[in-house]
Amino acid sequence: MTHRNPVPVWVGLILLFVSAAALSVAVGPGGFAGTRLSAVMDLRLLRLALGITAGGVLAVVGASLQGLLQNPLADPFTMGVASGAALGASLTVVLGRSAGVFAPLGGFAGALVTMLVVYALARVRGRVTVTGLVLAGVIMSFLFSSLVMLVMILGRRTLGEAVYMMMGHLGAVFTGTTAWLFGAVAVLAVAGCGWLFSLSRSLDVMSSGEEAAETLGVDTQRVTKTVFVVSSLLVGMVVSFTGAISFVGLVVPHLVRMLFGPAHRRVLPGSFLAGAAILLLSDVLARNVVPGGLPLSIVTALVGVPFFIYLLRSRL
Amino acid sequence: MRLTRFVLTIVVLLVATCQKQPGVQPGLRVVSLVPSVTEIAYAVGAGKTLVGNTNQCDFPEAAKSVYKVGDFMSPDLERIVALRPGLVCLTLPIHRQLLDKLNEMKIPVYASRPADIRAVFREIDTVARLLGRGASGESLVAAMRRRLDSVPAFADTPRVYIEISGTPLMTAGGGTFINELLEMAGGRNVFESSVQEYPVVDPEAVLKADPQVILLLHPDMRAPDVARRIGWGGISAVRQGRVYDQLDDDLFFRPGPRIVEGVGLLARLLHPGR
Amino acid sequence: MNAVELSGLAFGYGKRLLFDGFDLDVAAGEFLGVIGPNGAGKSTLLKLAAGLLRPGRGSVRIAGTELRAIGRAEAARTIGVVLQENPFAFDYTVSDVVMMGRNPHLGRFQSPGKQDRKVVTEALEFVDALFLRDERINAISAGERQRVVLARALAQEPQILLLDEATSHLDIAHQQMIACILVELNRQGRTIVLLSHDLNLAALYCSRILLLDKGRAAACDVPERVITGELIRSVYGVEPIVTRHPETGRPQVMLPVATGNLG
Repeated sequence: MTHRNPVPVWVGLILLFVSAAALSVAVGPGGFAGTRLSAVMDLRLLRLALGITAGGVLAVVGASLQGLLQNPLADPFTMGVASGAALGASLTVVLGRSAGVFAPLGGFAGALVTMLVVYALARVRGRVTVTGLVLAGVIMSFLFSSLVMLVMILGRRTLGEAVYMMMGHLGAVFTGTTAWLFGAVAVLAVAGCGWLFSLSRSLDVMSSGEEAAETLGVDTQRVTKTVFVVSSLLVGMVVSFTGAISFVGLVVPHLVRMLFGPAHRRVLPGSFLAGAAILLLSDVLARNVVPGGLPLSIVTALVGVPFFIYLLRSRL
Repeated sequence: MRLTRFVLTIVVLLVATCQKQPGVQPGLRVVSLVPSVTEIAYAVGAGKTLVGNTNQCDFPEAAKSVYKVGDFMSPDLERIVALRPGLVCLTLPIHRQLLDKLNEMKIPVYASRPADIRAVFREIDTVARLLGRGASGESLVAAMRRRLDSVPAFADTPRVYIEISGTPLMTAGGGTFINELLEMAGGRNVFESSVQEYPVVDPEAVLKADPQVILLLHPDMRAPDVARRIGWGGISAVRQGRVYDQLDDDLFFRPGPRIVEGVGLLARLLHPGR
Repeated sequence: MNAVELSGLAFGYGKRLLFDGFDLDVAAGEFLGVIGPNGAGKSTLLKLAAGLLRPGRGSVRIAGTELRAIGRAEAARTIGVVLQENPFAFDYTVSDVVMMGRNPHLGRFQSPGKQDRKVVTEALEFVDALFLRDERINAISAGERQRVVLARALAQEPQILLLDEATSHLDIAHQQMIACILVELNRQGRTIVLLSHDLNLAALYCSRILLLDKGRAAACDVPERVITGELIRSVYGVEPIVTRHPETGRPQVMLPVATGNLG
């Protein structure tokens, strides 16, 4: 419904995605060292899969939550799920069990627990309000972040590790089992994003407020609970492999809205592509620009913050 | 009777003042907030002076039963002060705030910050003297030097990858203690050129460096887990089964008397059969 | 059959009951005005009738059927609601917004089709906002926003319209425009319930007026019998001067001159 024909923008976005993927596979610190080429390629392809899933999911969830909460500042971590996942993962490290599948499973368990706690806190007489979810989520987020620090201290680990877990990275090492686990996660992630996409119109209507949406025939309770649960599970799954990568979920949806307008049936798929592309590009920069690499969240912040400032000022 | 007592008193006094190695400063109460300094205190025979240490001061056995003033990362000032210490040993920069408070209270403080092995020797000397066991300190340092000198010069210097953490992959850079120990033991840290102390590394960088030995310094990772990592099967260390786990990291991270054991252990792992 | 029937309604926020055994019948095709002081329960009543709030006791019937028994989508095809506050968090275009009114007519995976676009266009035309169709919702004036939100309600093709303060922030030109629209809608046979602070607007156009006072109906009758000095004073505490509108003879109120003496 915008004047601009969206087709060339879609084409541009797809091209961006494809080039980001190609770049991610082509360039890396491992170089093309002789006989180890196939091993390096294995690592890169896994990293590519992880980057696409993480970038896509974070952006889609960010967009959905911004729509549900009617708040342009919402991001995938507003509900506190990422802190819970970090807590779960750090517990497995401290208990000496983080090898193999336990770390991601621990992370996911942490995310699940957080989701249940936030949901229970926000429920009043069987109803869940958007404001309640936000408040409960923010509180849990603070609580669990502090607990992560506490766990790391008591477990005699360096705080550096805790900070890294909260900052996000695509450098997870995979064994055969964890690779299969991640495969399952990727499939579920796409399914989850698809489910959110099917709620596009309801999310559009809900952006005028829960009451107005009810009068227009939207089952706001069902939509709120569904978006909350699906988002939490998606974020939990991703964060247990990558830690909390910041800014992608916050900034990418706005970028996509600038290109396509606010209708969710365009913003959600657009966010998936743009989120994956931008995360992959940030990762390429983070790994290659400085020998030894930069933390991923620093690059996404360096890219995201100026853009966000520009967005903010154009709205004022 | 009175004469005997008088003579005995003189004799005791003479003996006391003539001792070449004076006893521990009578009544010195020491609180150690640094596990390595605790170890030094016991190693020079001044363990009795400790009236308080931290939860992390766990070597030797005797250190475990000393009153605990809290955690190494956050010791309790009240508990420390309640012990009426004549000396508090801490480390910077972690205990910076505590140092300021103790200075305000005019409680004598020793700040430990040994950056390398030479500094550890100096610290052992200083701490020993502070606790009135200067001679023991000297002989301990001498013994440590002798042991280090006895590590032979090796023909080869294998490439070593030190893994501090698995999620994410973290190693020790060139400026760290363990790096120096590794060099002494005749090994080369593949990430010694890193600027950061404990950088997070890209798995690809490990592949590219192709270490011949891998040291796992976090207890939850075992050698078979590393072998199962996708893409790691071709690394020399994995192919030759030279991945070592279950190492006591206190030997490498505590800048105290046991670093020579650490060097010895590393030397044996890096150069088997020598 | 009545369009809206409220019987024995009990509702309260917290412990105190606002409505305790409230009854109201709105005939089909009626234009009912609801007036009353702040806190009398006007908005609450509208939300109860629309199904946004659930009564503790009693029933809400729409065209003879219990509202609870009617599905959400069906209810949204029957009742169009225009609330007082209409915030828009994102910059949808005017036609996007009005298209949201078609939501109850669309299946879960259905996209709007030609018929839907036609309804949207007609709704916009009806409120004279067609020229705004490609503007951003947050970039238009308050009066234009009011009309767009009304168009969205019309796009639902409802038989019943519930409006909470359709004209409060509008200048007289736009007030007049809204009044014309409502009169026309009523003429077409739609039932309209209008909550308003504007006693004159209600008196001029409504077939009946409900005067609410702290959850009770102080009066529910034709304007001539409700807009009286006595009744208004007993509920509002202010005695107006009641005159007759020169064109229709309907009662109109004027406030007495304020003397600067508080009571």
